[in-house]
Formats: sequence, C-alpha cells, structure tokens
Amino acid sequence: MSGTISRKSSSARLWFVVHGWLALPIWAFLFFVCLTGSIATVSQEIMWLASPAVRAHAPAADARLLGYDEILAAVEREVPGARVRFIARPVKSIFALTVSVTRPDGSTETLYVNPYTGRVQGEQGEFDFRDFVRALHGWLLVPFNNGFSLGWYAVSALAIPLLGSLITGIVVYKRFWRVYLRPRLRVSKGRRVFWGDLHRLAGAWSIPFIAIMAVTAGWFLVRAILDDNHISISTAGVPPVVARGDVPVVAMGAPAPRITLGQAAEAVRRQLPDLDPSFVQFPSSAYDHISVGGRGAYPLLFETVDVNPYNGKVERTRRISDRSALELVTGSMRPLHTGDFAGLWLKLVYLAFGLTLTTLVFSGMMVWTKRTAIETVKLVRERAPARLGLEAAE
Amino acid sequence: MTTLASPSRGTSLWQRWRFHLSALVMIVPIAFTPAFFHENAFFDGRKGLGEREIGEIAVGPWSVRLAEFKVVEPDAEGRAGYAKEFALALCPACVDQVKAAYLRVGKPRNIRTMGALFSGTPYRQTAEMRIPDRTTADDVLWLTLEGWDGALHQATIPIRTASPVTAAWLARRRS
Repeated sequence: MSGTISRKSSSARLWFVVHGWLALPIWAFLFFVCLTGSIATVSQEIMWLASPAVRAHAPAADARLLGYDEILAAVEREVPGARVRFIARPVKSIFALTVSVTRPDGSTETLYVNPYTGRVQGEQGEFDFRDFVRALHGWLLVPFNNGFSLGWYAVSALAIPLLGSLITGIVVYKRFWRVYLRPRLRVSKGRRVFWGDLHRLAGAWSIPFIAIMAVTAGWFLVRAILDDNHISISTAGVPPVVARGDVPVVAMGAPAPRITLGQAAEAVRRQLPDLDPSFVQFPSSAYDHISVGGRGAYPLLFETVDVNPYNGKVERTRRISDRSALELVTGSMRPLHTGDFAGLWLKLVYLAFGLTLTTLVFSGMMVWTKRTAIETVKLVRERAPARLGLEAAE
Repeated sequence: MTTLASPSRGTSLWQRWRFHLSALVMIVPIAFTPAFFHENAFFDGRKGLGEREIGEIAVGPWSVRLAEFKVVEPDAEGRAGYAKEFALALCPACVDQVKAAYLRVGKPRNIRTMGALFSGTPYRQTAEMRIPDRTTADDVLWLTLEGWDGALHQATIPIRTASPVTAAWLARRRS
C-alpha cells in the first residue's frame, strides 16, 4: 500500500478505521434490515400490483364515493351478522377501503371493499404481505411477549452503528460535497476503485436520509426502553368514557338508539372543518365513542375526534395543538421513518434512498475486504509496535 | 509491505468469513415464521376465543363463553400493579341484549366498581382484569352482565378454575 492513504495523519487513519469497523461485523444484518425496510416502504403498492382485490376501480368515470353508512350497509349485506370494528380509507384513492369485521364465530377479518360500489372484493387472509415485510424488517418476526420483542431491540439498536458510520464517514470524507458537483464512478480502474467510488457517491448523496433513518430508528429504541419501563410521555390522559346517564335504557330486545355514521361525520366536520377523515373506529363497548381520525394541516400526525354514539356530542378532540412539543417530535418519528404521509412520490423517493443505503452497506463491506483490514494492521503496528510485537512480520 | 504470516487453512477460512457471520441473523426470522403466523391467527380469533377455554358460564338469563386469553402469569403493568387478560363471547341469542360485561376479583360493592369492562365485539371481547395485592389463590372472580334494559346479572368463577396459572402464581407469591 502506498499513495494518499499512507500519507494521511494518524488521527485521520484512526477515524477511517473506526468508520470501517462500526458496521463491518454486522454488515449482513444491517444489509438485511435496509433491504427489507426499502421493500416495506412500497409494500402496499406491491400488493396493489399483485392483487386486484386491493384496488379501487371506479365503475364509471363519474362514480361517487359511498358514505360511511352506505359502506356499513353494503358490508352487512355481504357478510351478514358481522360487526364492523373500523373502516379505513387509505391515503390514495387507488386503494380499496379496508374494513375490519368480527364474524359471529369470533374470527376477525380485514375486508377490501370497493369505495364506489360497496362490493367486498376480497379478504386479507392469513398472509398479508405488508404486515409480514414490516414485521420482518422491524422485529425479525420475534414475538412480543410481555413488552417489546427482542427483535425490535436488535433492529432499532442498529441506529447506533448507523449514526456512528454517518458521523465518522463525514469526518473521513471531508470534501464530500464535491460529489454533488462532479460525481465520479470509475468502472475501469479495478474493483477496489469501483466499490470505493460507489461507497462515497452513495454515502454523500444519502447523508440526510441516513440521518433521518438513524435518528428515527434511535427513537424506536428509546421508545421500547421507555415503554418497557412503564414511562409515558403522553399528554393524552385517560381515554374518555361515555357517561352512564347518556347510555339509553331500552326494553329487553329493543335496539339501542344510536346516531348514524353520517351524523357522526357531520359532528366531526363542524368541530374540525379541515380534517380529512381517513378512518372511523366503532365503539368497542357500550361506553365507548365513535372515533374519527385523519390528517389535518400538519400531515405527519393524525387528529382524532371522539363522538358520543347516542347523542352525537363531540366529547374529545385531539388536535396537533393539543400535543406537547415532545409529542410532536416523537410522534413525527414513525412517519418520517416510513415516508407514508405524502403519497406515492415520497414513497418512491424513500425506496430509492433505501436501496442506496442498502448498496452503501454492501459497498462498504467490499471496500473493507479490499482495504480496511490492511489499514488496521498498519495503524495497530504504528501505535503499539512493542506491545503487539508485529515487527517480526515485517 | 504488509504481509501476515501464512495462515493455516482453518485460520484462513475464519479470517475470510468471520465478518459475514452476522448473516446468521437470518436464522431468527426463519425460525420465528411459524410462530408469527400462529400469533396472527390467534389474535384474529382463528385459533379460538383464547388460548384456554374456561367454558360456558350461565349469567342470569344469558350465558357467555369465557377463556383465558393467554395461558401466562399476570402481567406487571407498572404502577397499576398486575393484570390478567380474559376473553369473552356472548351467547348468540344475547348478542343484542347485553350492554356490557365486567370482571373483577371479589364481589363488586356497587355499580361503579364492577371491574374491568370487556371491549371488542359481542362475538369476542377482552378485558384486562386488575389483580389487587391482597388476592389469594382461593379468591373468586365475579362476572357481571348489564342488559340494555338496565338489568344486572352476576356469576362467580373460582380463580383456580378461571386460570390455574394465576392461582399457582398467587400461591407462590403468598408463600
């Protein structure tokens, strides 16, 4: 080895070696998490491509979207006796509604319902690609028994080497911004040069993305630790309960009078006019509210409104302004990590950078096999020649 | 130049492959895949009401099926103490007649203290019942059903019947 590297100062070389060693021993794990994470960002779109049941085809160009009561009636028609738990309208109109129902036999199923016709187009079934990829990426499928899964800890702890690699990478590669002006990827100068160029190129271009991933993943780690130690930062308080006096007493067998979902939606509209409702959750008991939620002016977080199902009164709203600064920051972590708050274009941007990060991990390993091992021997030899007695090998 | 002493074949393999060992992490999701699908089916109620059915319990004019949600010892819930989760299904005829179901350790003193409220759907609902510190393995659970007509009906289930795991855990804690 000769040339620029060996002329570098010892401290620069130390940073270089630290950078090389941070992710190296776990590179394959990191690679796996980055790759599955990239796939997870577009897992919903992959399902859309794979299965017609999750698509929302309009029967005619001027077809009208059904209201929530019409959807409810359609589901009752197609799955008699089933109780609806929630109706969710995905952000993009190309997706069918997802309606969670429990059947009289006690099994819960997610139905894909056409938002124009109310037809039940399919069921989620035992295998849901999106859930599977998320679980694979987020916690390696390790079950959550009594607290957070060990897989969750293992994956979110990767935030530490990721952040370390980012910082040491910037220190080592001081004039990284040159890549923005004059990108360089030499393909004909041998594999070491190619992988090195690719590593620097991919790294410099994805600095903000890596920072977002490292910080948000770090929050997932902190969140698990807080949760497992029963520490809450929520200002939401105890969920409200419908007052006993509001729940009507009716004759045995008579149906209890409840407001329609249309009335509930109207109450929500009056309360938060700019809320774009994306889900309606049904009361989970006689003393529970109808909960309507959606994105408001700040698209990262959901705002929710709880409506009394008997008299239509809005009994709780949880807006952006009701949250503490800490909740706004921590609540933004997950959407920032997944990129699912602005539409398909952002998901594709996340996918592109996710794959860049995956490439970065792989090229880093390739660079290491070509270079870092030799650098380490050199550094160790210079710093502690007597102790390690490496001169003999010279 | 940097040259290391020529290593033996075994050392060479180790030198070359040691940094790829983290690929073995992939064994974890492969090993947990069956459990993952089992858990999903369980939570969606395709494996029954709960992990262990306690049986059909008559409560006044109605009846319910009660189950231990998971056959595990009570969960530590921080300052709230310990809690144990149960699942319940209303009888088909009483789905529209029962307004609410509650479960607690010991007899409720009044209408405000009937215990943990079950939530879910009439076909499958769950409640996390708090286990007070003074509870013993010989105590009895009180299940209260409240009708839409305001009527209250109650039934009792010994802890030993409802959850042998919890009874054993309580006995061990007392000793």
